[in-house]
Amino acid sequence: MFMSILKFIFQMFFLLLIAPLFTGIIRKIKSKIQHKIGASVFQPYYDLIKLLKKDLVVSSTSSWIYNVAPYVYFITSLAAVMCLPVVYQFKGFSFYTDLLVIVYLLVAGRIFMALAGLDTGSTFGGMGSSRELLVSALVEPALFLIIITVGANPEIASTSVFSIYDYAVKNSSSTFSTINILLFAAMLMVMIAESSRIPVDDPSTHLELTMVHEAMTLEYSGRHLAFIEMGTYIKQLVFMTFMANILIPVGLNMENILAGLGIYLLKLIIITFLVGFIEINTVKFRLFSLPNYAVIALIIAVLGFLTRFVLR
Amino acid sequence: MYNNVLNLLAILILISSFTLVANKRQNAYITTFRLQSLLLALISLIISVKSMIETKKFDEVIFIFLLIVVFKVIVIPMAMRKTSDRVEYKVEKDFFINIPISMLICCGLVVLCWYVVHHVEGITNPTTENYLIYSLSVVMIGLFFMISRKKALGQIIGFLVIENGLFLAAMMTTDGMPMIVELGLFFDLLTAFLIMGIFVFKINSTFDSIDVNKLKHLKG
Repeated sequence: MFMSILKFIFQMFFLLLIAPLFTGIIRKIKSKIQHKIGASVFQPYYDLIKLLKKDLVVSSTSSWIYNVAPYVYFITSLAAVMCLPVVYQFKGFSFYTDLLVIVYLLVAGRIFMALAGLDTGSTFGGMGSSRELLVSALVEPALFLIIITVGANPEIASTSVFSIYDYAVKNSSSTFSTINILLFAAMLMVMIAESSRIPVDDPSTHLELTMVHEAMTLEYSGRHLAFIEMGTYIKQLVFMTFMANILIPVGLNMENILAGLGIYLLKLIIITFLVGFIEINTVKFRLFSLPNYAVIALIIAVLGFLTRFVLR
Repeated sequence: MYNNVLNLLAILILISSFTLVANKRQNAYITTFRLQSLLLALISLIISVKSMIETKKFDEVIFIFLLIVVFKVIVIPMAMRKTSDRVEYKVEKDFFINIPISMLICCGLVVLCWYVVHHVEGITNPTTENYLIYSLSVVMIGLFFMISRKKALGQIIGFLVIENGLFLAAMMTTDGMPMIVELGLFFDLLTAFLIMGIFVFKINSTFDSIDVNKLKHLKG
């Protein structure tokens, strides 16, 4: 019992520690390909530390939601990522949870952020909130279809995280099965939309007409902003962990915990490279093109779903 | 492992034909087609290397790999880009059916292919059946792409995608056809492409646009 609590805490700190790294890697890849030197991979850490030291500026017209939202966002993201064991040995300590719970945890954080965006009464905040909720609503069908397809495997027949993990560990060889590839492609698109990366949202811009996530957090500063940024990094990690551990279950059944963690990190870095590659090859879509994007993700997920039942 | 990788590449080809349907610009069509051909070339490379290792004899499929790389990955996309640079380009809506609906139709086409291939008797191996389904779907999506685009260039791409689907079917189900058949197919393809390229110029010089809808209006 004591050991599992220790493992639980270890995993939490491990995930908190590595979460900003992947954003740093994506930025580095992008600047390398544009023949720039680029900021260090650890720049997101420095930014977070700097933000934590800075003072808070809170609008006098805002209500309690504005103050609470960053913490809610951070904690729901952290709770969501804690539902997924990163290494198989870490199972059995966290609550018996379900994949749908993870989705709703993320949605809860997002709702609070949207409310906080509206709270200060600035035009950009409201615009950002409405856009963020639009994006979330657009990719949700694909996300749910992916989860249902994973759970609809007759040998799992549940969306409980642990039955899915058990199955993934047993079938570590069926990595490139048709369904997993299709779901991986769909999940990659969902992940890009949910973590506000380039074809959907440009995280580095502050141009009024193109911001989605940034517009919502425009009023925040200091500690609050640090928690929001961290929440976004962790949310990205939730989707990456889902892809790495459930959709490519290679090396999940390692006996050695350190080897397991190494393989996990390697898989995340591969996914990061994929995301970086997509970012340098595309431009941000118009907001009205986003339904097309979401439909592609949905259709690929539908193909996976149909494959589960038709193609056997 | 070998089958896994082939399966991965075949599905990526199917996904790339879906992204082709979702594309809006001519340059994006060309890039997607190039990517798809590259995946096809990788498949032929893997098949030929595997058969060379197994039989310890030289396999002709490696020539197919070279042909695909030279023609479909390099020459045809470059020629196509040149064509699209030379004809007058106006950014306008290039499709009859909007993108979400066309994606849904493509999904329906894949289901149709499943249904059809599943009822073909004599396919005993389930992996062969899967490969047949993917390649037939690529052919169908190419056909749909051809009829859903207005511009002549998009229709050429649709034709080439159909060709890719046929190649995929031949490669995956038979481990490479005889050399002479493949060569015949290739030259057919190349001539068709050349003729269509000339047509694009002619349509452009006569109608000041490559929108094939304008062919309906009588000239002179």
